[in-house]
Amino acid sequence: MRRAILAVIATVAGLLALLSFKTHSSERTTASVQPAPSLPKGERAVTGNVANTAYGPVQVQLVVKTITAAGGKSQAGTILKVNILEQPSATQEDTQIGQYAFPKLIAETLTAQSARIDAVSGATYTSGGYLKSLQSALDNGA
Amino acid sequence: MATAAAQRAMLVGPRAMLAAIAAGAVAVLALWWHSTLSIAGFGGWLTGAGEILGLLAGYGFVILVLLMARIRPIERGVGADRLARWHAMGGRYVISVVSGHALLIIWGYAVTAHTNPASETATLLTTYPDVLMATVAWFLLLGVALVSARAVRRTMSYETWYYLHFYTYLAIALAFSHQFADGAAFTASLVARFWWSALYLLVGALVIWYRVVVPARDFAHHQLRVAGVRHEAPRTVSIYIKGRYLKELAAEPGQFFRWRFLTRGLWWQSHPYSLSAMPSDELMRITVQNAGDHSGAIARLAPGTRVLAEGPFGAFTPVRTGRSVLLLAGGVGITPLRAMFAALSGKVTLIYRASTWQDIVFQSELDAIAEARGATVHYVVGSRQDLGADPLSATALRRLAPGLHRMDVYLCGPPGMTGSAVAALTEAGVPRRRIHYESFEF
Amino acid sequence: MLREPMTLGTAVTARVRHAEPVMGTVVSFDVPVTARHDGSLDAAVRWLHWVDRVFSPYQADSDVSLLARAEVTVDGCVPEMTEVLAACAFVRDLSGGYFTASPGGQFDPSGYVKGWAVERAAALLARAGSADHLVNGGGDVQCAGGRGPGAGGMSTAPWRIGIADPLRPGRLALVVEARDRAVATSGTAERGAHILDPHTGSPAAGLASLTVTGPSLALADAYATAAVAMGPARARDWTASLDGYEAYAITDTGDTWQTPGFASHISAD
Repeated sequence: MRRAILAVIATVAGLLALLSFKTHSSERTTASVQPAPSLPKGERAVTGNVANTAYGPVQVQLVVKTITAAGGKSQAGTILKVNILEQPSATQEDTQIGQYAFPKLIAETLTAQSARIDAVSGATYTSGGYLKSLQSALDNGA
Repeated sequence: MATAAAQRAMLVGPRAMLAAIAAGAVAVLALWWHSTLSIAGFGGWLTGAGEILGLLAGYGFVILVLLMARIRPIERGVGADRLARWHAMGGRYVISVVSGHALLIIWGYAVTAHTNPASETATLLTTYPDVLMATVAWFLLLGVALVSARAVRRTMSYETWYYLHFYTYLAIALAFSHQFADGAAFTASLVARFWWSALYLLVGALVIWYRVVVPARDFAHHQLRVAGVRHEAPRTVSIYIKGRYLKELAAEPGQFFRWRFLTRGLWWQSHPYSLSAMPSDELMRITVQNAGDHSGAIARLAPGTRVLAEGPFGAFTPVRTGRSVLLLAGGVGITPLRAMFAALSGKVTLIYRASTWQDIVFQSELDAIAEARGATVHYVVGSRQDLGADPLSATALRRLAPGLHRMDVYLCGPPGMTGSAVAALTEAGVPRRRIHYESFEF
Repeated sequence: MLREPMTLGTAVTARVRHAEPVMGTVVSFDVPVTARHDGSLDAAVRWLHWVDRVFSPYQADSDVSLLARAEVTVDGCVPEMTEVLAACAFVRDLSGGYFTASPGGQFDPSGYVKGWAVERAAALLARAGSADHLVNGGGDVQCAGGRGPGAGGMSTAPWRIGIADPLRPGRLALVVEARDRAVATSGTAERGAHILDPHTGSPAAGLASLTVTGPSLALADAYATAAVAMGPARARDWTASLDGYEAYAITDTGDTWQTPGFASHISAD
C-alpha cells in the first residue's frame, strides 16, 4: 500500500513538474513582432491583447474604417484589413502554421460574417486569378 | 544451444533491466516534450497531463508484455518470480495511469471546448477516430484488473484467471490505433510513429519467438515423453521424463521448467515444477506434491505421454563464490535443493524441515549424496508443538550450521516458512544479499 | 498540423480537397476520402480534361473549333455535342436570345459547357456513392448533401458558399447555404466586360455580378450569363420568372437586389 501511495505521489509530482517547465519554456519562445503600418485618414487601428494560444503568443490588429455618426462621434466601421503583429515563429511548425493559417484567418475575418465557408462563387477566375483568391486559401488551408 | 557459461554471459540482471525500462520512460517523456508547443490555460494543463499519462501507458503496456515474454536472458538474469512480481505491480500502476489518461483527456477537452464532460465524452466517442475502440480496450483492462485482484483470483481456478488475462492482448490491439489517430505526439511526426510501431513490433516478435517458436522447436528437437511415475511419499510423486539431447538445455540446479502434459484433462494447463535432479542426456526428473486436482492427475500419467516443456527458467541457482553453502528446505521445497545438493561442490549443509517423517522424500538419495561428498544433512521433523520451540530459529540454525553468517544460503519452502526463515537467518547474521530464495507469490 | 484538440474536425469528417487546373480555370473538389480511394475523384478529373479537349474554343482541333470552322457536322462530333447544342437552344429561347452559343458570331458554347461539365463531374462522384461533396468550377459551384456532421448531431449542415464581392476583391458580399443545389455567378469582376449583349454586340453593362442558384449548375451558369447580358433592368424580372431558380445581383454602383425566393438561401449566421 505504501508503495502505491509513493507511486501516485511521484507520478503527480512528475506531471506537475513537466507541465510547468513546458509552460515557462514556451512563454520565453521568441515571437516575431512586425511593426504596425501607418494609416491614412479615415482608418483606425484597433489592437488586440497578446493572446496565449496553443501555438504561442499571437497579437492581432484590425484596421477599421472610421464612420462619423450623427453628432460627430466617430465609430469603428467595416474591417478593412487584419495585421498580425506577433506570431510564434520559434519552430518550423510555427512558421508553417503562420503561412497557412493566418491567410485563412485573415480571409475568414474579412467575410461578411466571420463564419467558415466551404467555397467561393464569383465571376470565373483564371488559373492565375485562382492563386490569389479566397478559394485557393480554402483549398490549401484545410 | 549455448553452454551454461555462455548463457550467463548474455544475462540481463535486475538493475540493468530496471535501468533500461527507466531510460525508455524518459525517452517517452522527451517525445511529449518535443511534440508539445505550449500549454494554454487550465484545459491545456489537463490535456497535457492526459497526454503524458497516455504515452506512459502505451509504453507501460509494451513493457508489461515484455516482462512476460519469457525472454531467456531476462528470465535467467532477473528471475521468473521477480518478473512476475514486477508485472503484477506494474500492471496495477499502468492500468491506473491509463484510467487517469482517459479521465484527464475528457476533462481537459471539455474545459477547452467550454462544454460539460458528459457531452465531451459523447463527442470523443462518436467523432474522434478509434476512440470507441480504445474505450472498449480500457474497460477490458479494468475487467482484467478486477479479476486479478487477489480476492477475486482466489475464487477461480488458476487456468480461468490465466486465460482471462489474455484479454489484455486484445485490449492492446484495440487501443493501438487511437494513439496514432488522436495522439498529438504521433499525428504530426512520422518518425515518432515509426519508432513507436517498431517498439510494439519488436516486443510482439519477441513474444512470438520465445513463447511459441522456441517451445515448438524444443518440442520437436527433444521429443520429451513421460518415462514413468514413482511415488516418493503419500502425497508426493516423481515424474521421470525421457528425451534426447537434454544436455543442450543447459539446465542449472534449482531451475524449473513450465510443463504441459499432452493428455486429456492436462493439456491446457502449464505448471512450473523444478528439476529434482540434474538431467542426464536422456532423462529428467521432477517431483510434485499432490496439492489439488491437477497434481492428482499427474500421479496417474501414463508412460509415453508427450510433454511440452518450456525452459529452463529461474534465477534460483547457486552462484560460485567459494563460500560454504547452506540449503534450507521446507516440505516440497526440497525439490530444487535436492538438485543443488548433488550438483554443488565445496562444503554444503542441508537442513530439511518437514511436519512428519512420511513427508520426507529422497531420504536414501540425500544420505547417499551426503556420504559420497562429505556433506551434512539435518532432518528437522515434527510439528511446532512436538519440538517445543521454533526449530528454525536463529539459535537453532546457528547450531545446525556453524559459521552460518559466512555462508551462502539457498532457501525453498512454503511462503510462511520462507518468511520466518529469512527473519531468522538475518538475525543469525547472514547478510540479506547472501540469502537466496524464490517466491512466487504475487 | 493543428494541435488544438477542437480543430480535429477536419480530420474527423475524413474529407479531401483537390484543386485541378483545367478549362482555363481551377476546379476545386471537396469530397469524402472514399472518393480518392475508389477512383471516382480521378474519374471526375479525367472527365473535366476530356471536356476541355473536346469543347475548348482555344484548341484548334477540338470539336468546338472544328464545328466553328464548319469542318465537321454535328453528327461528326461527340454525342454530347448534340445535348449541349439542344440545351443552349433552350436557354436561348427562354432568355429571349440573350444567351447564345455563338457570342459575337463565333460558335462557343462555353457559357453552358463549363457549368455542365462541373455538374456532370459532381454526378460522377454521386454515382460512386458520395452523398456529400462540392465541386467548384472556377466560381460555379455544384453541391450534393452537406458539409459533414452538423453541430451536436449526426445530420449534415448545408454547404456554405461565399459570394465574392465584385467591387472589393478578396471580400465576400454574402454567404449562401446550399444543400443539393448549384450556385453560379456571372459578372465582370475577374475577366472584365467579356459578356456581350448579343443584340447590340457591345459589352453588357450595369451588373457587376449576378448569382443564380438552383438544382442544375449547367442551367444556373447559363441563366446567370444570360441575365448579365440582358442588363439589370431586364434581368430582375426575367430571373424572377425562372422556375426553381433564384438570383442575387450586385450592380456596378454597389446596389444589390434579389428575387423573392433567394432570401431563404442566405445564411442566417
